[in-house]
Amino acid sequence: MKGRIFAIEEFAVYDGPGIRTTLFLKGCPLNCNWCHNPEGKEYKKQSLRNLNGCLDCKACFKVCPFKRESCNACGNCLSVCPKNLIRMSGIDYEAQELATILLKNVDILKMNKGGITITGGEPLAQLDFLNELLDLLKGKVHLAIETSGYCQTNDFLKIINKLDLVIMDAKIIEKEKALKYLGVDNELIINNLKELSKSKIPHIIRIPLIPEVSDTLDNLKDIIALIKDSSSLLGVELLPYNKFAGSKYKLIGKEYKPLFKENLQVNINTKIFIDNQIEVRGM
Amino acid sequence: MNARIKVIYERLLAKEYRLNRSDEVYDFANDFAFNKVDYISRSSQRLAKLVELEKLTLYPEDRFGFYRSLKSIPSLLTDDEWQELRSKYTIFDGAYVGNIASDYETIIRVGFQEKLKEIENEPNDIELLAMKETIKAVLRISQRYQEYALLKGNKELAEALKIVPLKGAESFYQACLFLKILNYSLWLNGNKHITIGRFDQYMLSYFNNDMKNKVINEEEALEIIEELFLSLNFDADLYPGIQQGDNGQSLVVGGVDKEGKDAYNDLSRLVLLASLELNLIDPKINMRVNKNTAQKWYDLGTQLTKKGLGFPQYSNDDIVIPALLKWGYAEKDARDYVVAACWEFIIPGVAMDIPNIDAFNFAKVINDTIHTYLLDSETYEDLFIKVKTNMAKEVKRMVELTNNLYMLPSPLQSVIMQGPISKHLDISLGGVKYYNYGFHGTGLSNAVDALSALKKTVYDNKEILKEDLLKALDNDFVNNEKLRNTLINVCKMGTNDDYVDSIACQLLEIFAKECSSYKNQWGGIYRAGTGSAMYYIWYSQDLPATADGRRAKENLSANYSPSLNCNIPGVLSVIKSFTKPNLINVCNGGPLTLEFHDSLFRNEEGSQKVAMLVQTFVALGGHQLQLNSINRDTLLDAQKNPEKHKNLIVRVWGWSGYFNELDKVYQDHIIKRLEFMR
Repeated sequence: MKGRIFAIEEFAVYDGPGIRTTLFLKGCPLNCNWCHNPEGKEYKKQSLRNLNGCLDCKACFKVCPFKRESCNACGNCLSVCPKNLIRMSGIDYEAQELATILLKNVDILKMNKGGITITGGEPLAQLDFLNELLDLLKGKVHLAIETSGYCQTNDFLKIINKLDLVIMDAKIIEKEKALKYLGVDNELIINNLKELSKSKIPHIIRIPLIPEVSDTLDNLKDIIALIKDSSSLLGVELLPYNKFAGSKYKLIGKEYKPLFKENLQVNINTKIFIDNQIEVRGM
Repeated sequence: MNARIKVIYERLLAKEYRLNRSDEVYDFANDFAFNKVDYISRSSQRLAKLVELEKLTLYPEDRFGFYRSLKSIPSLLTDDEWQELRSKYTIFDGAYVGNIASDYETIIRVGFQEKLKEIENEPNDIELLAMKETIKAVLRISQRYQEYALLKGNKELAEALKIVPLKGAESFYQACLFLKILNYSLWLNGNKHITIGRFDQYMLSYFNNDMKNKVINEEEALEIIEELFLSLNFDADLYPGIQQGDNGQSLVVGGVDKEGKDAYNDLSRLVLLASLELNLIDPKINMRVNKNTAQKWYDLGTQLTKKGLGFPQYSNDDIVIPALLKWGYAEKDARDYVVAACWEFIIPGVAMDIPNIDAFNFAKVINDTIHTYLLDSETYEDLFIKVKTNMAKEVKRMVELTNNLYMLPSPLQSVIMQGPISKHLDISLGGVKYYNYGFHGTGLSNAVDALSALKKTVYDNKEILKEDLLKALDNDFVNNEKLRNTLINVCKMGTNDDYVDSIACQLLEIFAKECSSYKNQWGGIYRAGTGSAMYYIWYSQDLPATADGRRAKENLSANYSPSLNCNIPGVLSVIKSFTKPNLINVCNGGPLTLEFHDSLFRNEEGSQKVAMLVQTFVALGGHQLQLNSINRDTLLDAQKNPEKHKNLIVRVWGWSGYFNELDKVYQDHIIKRLEFMR
């Protein structure tokens, strides 16, 4: 079947061991307020218009059926820009076709003890496609996923059992807060986090530290309570918020509106993890 | 760096030492001409005069001295003589001997005294007399500094100058001082692009001896190296080149020794450490690597890359040595290779190769062929036959341009090479072993992309008519963005697509084959290469729009790199594409250049993976690699001209983005951040 991606990044350095290729699947059911990949949020295709260097020649405006008021991803504007500043976010591939592309540099990935990491968007949001793709890649290369963990638990288990490494986010544990900042009920996420902790799959927990939202002592304690007894936890990665999160919103014609105080100092509490015998990685 | 080195560093930055320089322009040439002095003797006589005119500078505890005071070197020839020479001969790069590697090993070991003896044992003639006078001039300036050091109470330098350069060096410090004197003298003698060569090899015995006998410890050795490196920067603004910094002071570490054994040693490490601490553009560090090179050297090299100076540059022994052997260099010579000013592979002590004598313009040859033959070419294969013919014609034309070359004599350079004394022949006249020429290959990826785009759109898909393509090219794509975008979006070299990469393999093979069918006036060969030097800018000025979608005047790709219009999928694909051709055939020099944002190196993990990537390039058969950590200037240019920097990826936080696509406010922020990283 076909799946939709918005990027492939070669030589991904921070998405797992060794030299990796990272695939970005398009679409995410969450609505994290600090999302830095807004072009991966919606499943539908979007044209990305880079305004830096734009001559304002209106060539794209003239060929657009909606006069740039909205976008149906018809692609008319892509080839008329004299500065080649417009590109499409969202390309559809058959799983087989995509597997071939991803395996193109497999010799380099293997030579360097690396592999392929699938992220998004939210990769679990294209569940059937992801299953098919993983089946095609399984056994050929080290496989990892980066996920929010938002999907039905039986589906989640099916997926993680095909993987060599799971990198899962633990963002906000408190239900009300999660609803506000992530836009979803986090019950499924917490369930899956518990399942992952119980599993034998090597995993890393990533914690975005958003000032006064997720970097609070309470939230970190809640997270630790969920993960500390796992025997397959490799460690946590703390990602302190920084103000570049909003830098791509104009590309999709939107505005970045953080609901928290961006300028506050992030509380980077590594000690609490170390005290609980949890390794803090890559700081 | 320690307190002492910091003081010298500050001195370099403060530039106060330059106050001692003289603007005076001397005219020796008219006297020489009037007295009918031959050109060989002019060189030694000029040096003899200059060493008297030089004003000396020394700072307290200065271990090296030898600052240049004369800003300009007077010409050997009058304007009329130059004109006559140019009318009779081919003149390359001002006819000055340069861009070669001296036999530092021998001269530092035996001293000029031994060379004088050698000369006296030979029958007298003009060549040898000039060499002798030249040696005397170098001894004279050394003596002047020796006396001045005594006067200034600088005992360490005064003592050392009693030994070197007359006698062979007895300590690591003396050996380094000897090197400095040679470097200073060659520049003063009008030679150009003075390379430093395999410092960690020819200096090793002095270092080991001093370490063994506890004359110095490692810290002191590092201090000496740092002081020497600093001294190579003091007058770099006076050294001629295309741009300041283009002075050829390249230093090579590692690789294999003449017997083929791993040559990395403690001194290689100290050289890298010194460069890491100093953060200066001179000397430019090159690392020779091969499949047996230990990981730790790549890790150290990556630490240096992180500094953003654009070096070390890596050269792969596993490709370069076989290439040199294939070209007829002796095994021990091939194993001893160094890089010339930029990246051309040359042999120290025995070669007067001119590896940059001209640059083949791939982009132009292909473009001309398309304009002349596209309409009449039924198939792509028909057109490609014409490509071959035109490439052959162009190589022939270039070869003919190199005929009848003349170089001005350089007795000083001759003395510090193997051969000229015993052969009684100046290096400019045939005194050494190798006189091979090399052609750069400029604009390869643009040429390959043009053929790929044309093959796909005109012949395979028939979506563009030949006439329309030619018309669009003639009109520089004005009002035809659609056609231009179609051309741009065809797969390009750097995307790891055999459709296009196979064209690169073919073009390089033809280039190599054509070069190999000629001999130069010395009986030497023509080596094909993948470098561009400044030609990627020069050639782009006169080149109209090309079929890869490049507009007139837009820059060609630099060296062996993807074109600026190529939407590369990533660095792994680039490496795969650019290691497909058999680079042994086109190994004159010219690196693949990869650019990374310096935040990629923010932690150990990122740096280690960059080091792994270099190893991968070596394992896949790449010949030469240059890594750049992107700096602020590039980003500023990218703001102004985003279309030229489409592939500039910046690591922004825990994620990457195209720099062009970030809001300006964020771009400004990154640029600002880089200011603090300097």
